[in-house]
Amino acid sequence: MSRSVDLRTLRRRALASATAALMAAGMAAHADAPAMLGKLGRAATPAEVKAWNIDVRADFKGLPPGSGSVARGQEVWEARCENCHGTFGESNEVFFPMVGGTTAADIKSGHVAGLLDPNAPARTTLMKLAQLSTLWDYINRAMPWNQPKSLATDDVYAVTAYILNLGNIVPADFVLSDKNMAEVQGRLPNRNGMTREHGMWDVNGKPDVQGSACMNQCASAVAITSRLPEYARNAHGDIALQNRMIGGVRGAETALPAPSTFVALAARQAPPASGVAPAQSEGLKLAQSHACLACHGIGNKIVGPALLDIHKKYAAQPKADAVRLLIVRIKSGGTGLWGNTPMPAQDHVPDVEVRTLADWIATGKFQ
Amino acid sequence: MADPMRIRAQLKDGGVTEVRVLMAHIMETGQRKDGSGKIVPAHHIQNVTATWNGKTVLTAQFGPAVSQNPVMNFSFKGGAKGDKVSVSWSDNKGDKRTDEATIS
Repeated sequence: MSRSVDLRTLRRRALASATAALMAAGMAAHADAPAMLGKLGRAATPAEVKAWNIDVRADFKGLPPGSGSVARGQEVWEARCENCHGTFGESNEVFFPMVGGTTAADIKSGHVAGLLDPNAPARTTLMKLAQLSTLWDYINRAMPWNQPKSLATDDVYAVTAYILNLGNIVPADFVLSDKNMAEVQGRLPNRNGMTREHGMWDVNGKPDVQGSACMNQCASAVAITSRLPEYARNAHGDIALQNRMIGGVRGAETALPAPSTFVALAARQAPPASGVAPAQSEGLKLAQSHACLACHGIGNKIVGPALLDIHKKYAAQPKADAVRLLIVRIKSGGTGLWGNTPMPAQDHVPDVEVRTLADWIATGKFQ
Repeated sequence: MADPMRIRAQLKDGGVTEVRVLMAHIMETGQRKDGSGKIVPAHHIQNVTATWNGKTVLTAQFGPAVSQNPVMNFSFKGGAKGDKVSVSWSDNKGDKRTDEATIS
């Protein structure tokens, strides 16, 4: 997406996604739907567009000015990234390794030979990466996993430089900036490895998806040809609780039946009038605001164990002890108790709030 | 000549120095067959030694069970900022490599 976004385009898209949401909610396409949708939403403000429009294109359009050194990247890496990705980007526990499998010959040719080697143990990020903008953009918008968009622009450059240094793509004294990204792109091991001439599935060597833009004869009416059966709605737990608590998009509340009308849906999504809302405990509010629920479901395991299971594990001992232990676990993170996936240290959460959360889990009344 | 190791040595609370090492090595077990059915000859690190200011703080014997590009973490007491930590390995084909890092 280019930086200059036509506001009308944006609004049209918002309407389109609202339409999709209504369809997903199980609403039949009413004849009066367009009239109803006309009252929905408002034009996005320039500030909203600016906050939303952060992508970096392959030609580096959209890249904000800034710079970061490998040395600074190492500091940021050890503070924020090492927990999951390993000191040298080698960890295979939470995600695939970031680094490895590339050679000096690959950097010269722009094709990673290891991708064709059936004995290669794994495909790392640097083996697959064809465009440097992708790495930069991904770190900028999605990392660290538990606090996305919290890295300063210069630190994103620094971390990117550090990863490239681990892969021996840039030297240890390198400073990556918006000025030399294009130059470093020319050194990526797999820069020539991307093709658009292939299909999602094997269809006799021909791509099944032609990525060419279709800008005429667009469908004017939407016909629903299939929908999720009612019994499958809650197959993966309450989707709304499993979303990361950033941005304005949440999943549908799948624990509740699908709303049958637009009015019912709007009523559910509207903020509750004061005094009418069911009292939310302090613990639940904190768990939502610190995105605990992104990894820990209340009753179901997601990446980490369910809060209810944690509560049961600690229920045998006196509550004061359980709270004390839980505070340590939350603050310093760890791995091993519930499997190999490490929990990152949450030392940015204030002590008072950690205590409230620990108390909330030890009490076990998850409301 | 093998690729250089990556070594990080950091002084932690309580005067403990934590050292993390990534050794770039193929670590071939000698039990794998190539495409034509011939056994790929074993090629793996056998001995690892770590020294701090010339004093040995760790020795290890590696075998074919250790993974490719092994990562090793260890810690010892007594290090100070600016001290040198040096790690060497030697493999079954007589290859050797020594690298050094400064405690930070």
